[in-house]
Amino acid sequence: MEFFSNLHLAFSVILQPDNLLFCFIGCLIGTLIGVLPGLGPVATISLLLPSTFHINPVSAIIMLGGIYYGAMYGGSITSILVNIPGEAASVVTCLDGYQMARQGRAGPALGISAFGSFIAGTLATVLIMLIAPPLARVALEFGPPEYFSLMFLGLTVLTYLASGSMVKALMMACVGIFLGTIGTDNISGIERFTYRSYTLMDGIGLIPVIMGLFGISEVLLNIDAASRQEIYPTRLSHLLPTLRDWKDSILPIIRGTLIGFFLGILPGGGAVIASFASYAVEKKVSKHPERFGSGAIEGVAGPESANNAASQGAFIPLLTLGIPANVVMAILLGALLIHNIKVGPLLIKDNPNLFWGVLGSMYVGNAMLLILNVPLIGIWVRILKIPYPILFPLILLFCLIGVYSVNNNIYEVIIMILFGVVGYLMKKFAYEGAPLILAFVLSPLLENALRQSLIMSGGDFSIFFTRPISLFLIAVAIFLLVSPLLPGIKRRPKGGDLA
Amino acid sequence: MKKYDQTSSLVWLGFALLICVESFRLPLGSIHDPGPGFLPLLVGVLLAGLSVICFLQARKGPSAEPKGSWYSTERWKNLVWVLLALLAYAVVLDYLGFLISTFLLLIVLFRFGMEPQRWAWAIGGSVIASLSCYAVFELWLRTQLPKGILGF
Repeated sequence: MEFFSNLHLAFSVILQPDNLLFCFIGCLIGTLIGVLPGLGPVATISLLLPSTFHINPVSAIIMLGGIYYGAMYGGSITSILVNIPGEAASVVTCLDGYQMARQGRAGPALGISAFGSFIAGTLATVLIMLIAPPLARVALEFGPPEYFSLMFLGLTVLTYLASGSMVKALMMACVGIFLGTIGTDNISGIERFTYRSYTLMDGIGLIPVIMGLFGISEVLLNIDAASRQEIYPTRLSHLLPTLRDWKDSILPIIRGTLIGFFLGILPGGGAVIASFASYAVEKKVSKHPERFGSGAIEGVAGPESANNAASQGAFIPLLTLGIPANVVMAILLGALLIHNIKVGPLLIKDNPNLFWGVLGSMYVGNAMLLILNVPLIGIWVRILKIPYPILFPLILLFCLIGVYSVNNNIYEVIIMILFGVVGYLMKKFAYEGAPLILAFVLSPLLENALRQSLIMSGGDFSIFFTRPISLFLIAVAIFLLVSPLLPGIKRRPKGGDLA
Repeated sequence: MKKYDQTSSLVWLGFALLICVESFRLPLGSIHDPGPGFLPLLVGVLLAGLSVICFLQARKGPSAEPKGSWYSTERWKNLVWVLLALLAYAVVLDYLGFLISTFLLLIVLFRFGMEPQRWAWAIGGSVIASLSCYAVFELWLRTQLPKGILGF
C-alpha cells in the first residue's frame, strides 16, 4: 500500500496549480532553447538555472526537471530535422530520424519519438517509485568510506565511457577535483588558491564554469565552423505515426525503456550509452537489419525511449544517495544545494514533498511534452530556421545575463568567458568537459568523505577495502580502470561506435 | 592528433606541477588527519602522471595529422572580435549600465561576429533585443541589472 500512498503524494504535489504551471513553463522553455542549434540540455539548464532561484525549492526543481525533459526532446527535434544532435544522447536518433525526414516522414519520426519518450517516462516513473525508497534505506548504512568509494566508482565509470581517450578523461576528472578545492576549506577554514580574491573565497561558482564550458564554447565552435545545415521538413502534414509504425515500434519502445532505465541508474553513463545500446539491440533482433540507417522507425523509437528512461533512472542515485550520475544531475545537485536542501538518503524522509513531487513531475512533464509538441512542432521548425549569425549574439547575451544575475558579480562573468575559451580549446584538442564538471561538483563531497574516512581509520587506507560495500565498489572501479590494459578483453565501448 | 596531444599534454603537465608547488604552501596535514593541501597535492601528482602517459601514448600513436590547422584560418578574427567584445562588456557593464553596454555589445556581435549584418539591421536588432531583455529581466523577473553612471 506504500506504493499507492506515495503515488497519491506525488500527484497531490505536482497537481498544485503553481507547480503545474512551473512544470509547463519548464517544458516549454526547455524545448524552445533545446531546439536552438548548439544548445543541449546541459547548456539549457545552466542558462535557465538562475531564473529558478526566486521560487520555492520544490517548484524550482520541478521546473528544472521540465526544462531537462524539454531540452532532451528539443535535441531529438534537431536530430531528426537538421541532423544536428542537440546532445550526445540523441546522436543515434540522427541515423534513422534524419533519413525519415528526408523521405518526407519527419512527422511520424517526431511523433514516435514523443510517444516513445512518454511511454518510457511512464514506465520509468513507476520503476523509480518501486526502487528508490528501499535503496535509500540501504544507503542509510553508508558511512564516509562507502560514499568515497561510490563517488570514485562514479567518476571511473564516466571516464571509462568517455568517447575519446580514457587517459584524457581521467586528466579532466583531476582538473575538476582541483577546481573544486579552490576556496575556503570546509574543515580547517584555510583559504586555498584564492590569492586574496574575494570572488574565489566561496570557491568557483558552478554556473559560470558550466556556462563557459558548455554555452560560450559551443558558440565559439559554431562561429568557427559556420556550416550551413539543410532543413528537411518541407511539410509536416501528419505527425501521428500510422498503425504500422506503431506495430513496428511498440516492442523497441518497451525494450528501450528497460535497457535505458537500468543503464541510467549506473552512475557515469546514462542516456548516451542507453541510446547506443538500444540501437544495437534493435538492429540485432530486427528481421531486416539492412533497413537501419535508411529510415527505420525502430531506430528512432528504441533509442528515444531508452534515453528518456535513462535520464529518469539517473534521478535515482541523485535522490537516494546524493550522488549525481551525469552532468545534468550534477547541476540539479548544485541547484538543490543552493536552495539549502540536504541531498542524501534522508531526502525522502526529510523532504517527501520534494522527492515525490519530482517523481510526479516526471510523469506530468512527459504528458505535457506530448500535448505541447503535437501543435507546436511548426513553431520549433521556424525557430530552427533563424540564421546563426543573428542567433548567436542573443545566446551570448543570455549567458552573460544568466551568470551576472546569480551574484551580481562581474568577476564571475569573466570566469565564464575564461572557461568558454578553455572549453573551446578542450573541444579542439579532444578533451571532454563532462568528467571535469562531474568531478568539480563531487570534489567537496569526495574530499570530505576521504578525509573523514582517514580520520576514522587513523590514516589507514585499508578502511576502503575492509568494509564489504566499499570493497565491492572499489573493486568494480579498479577493474574498469585496468581493463583496457588487460590483453584479451574486448576494447571498451566507445560513444562513437555502433555495433 | 599526435602533435596536438603532445603539446596539450605538456600544457597540462605544467599546470599539474603548478598545482603541486602551490599545494605545498598549504598545510598538508598527515595521513592520519589530512590537511587542506592533501587532496590538491594528490590530484596534482595524478594529473602530472597522467599527462606524461598521455604524452608517451601520443608519441607511440600514428602520426597522421588532421588537415589544416586546429583553428579556422578564415574565422579566427571573428573569434577574437567576439572574445574582446565579451571581455569589454564585462569591464564596462558596471559603469555604463545594462542598456548601453548591451546595445554596444550586440552591435559589435552583429557586425563583426560572423557575417556582417546591415547597419540598419544591426542597430535595430540591438535596440529591440536590449530593450526586451531589460523588460523581461529587470521589470518582470526583477533581476538586479547594473544601473551604471547614467542611472538606467
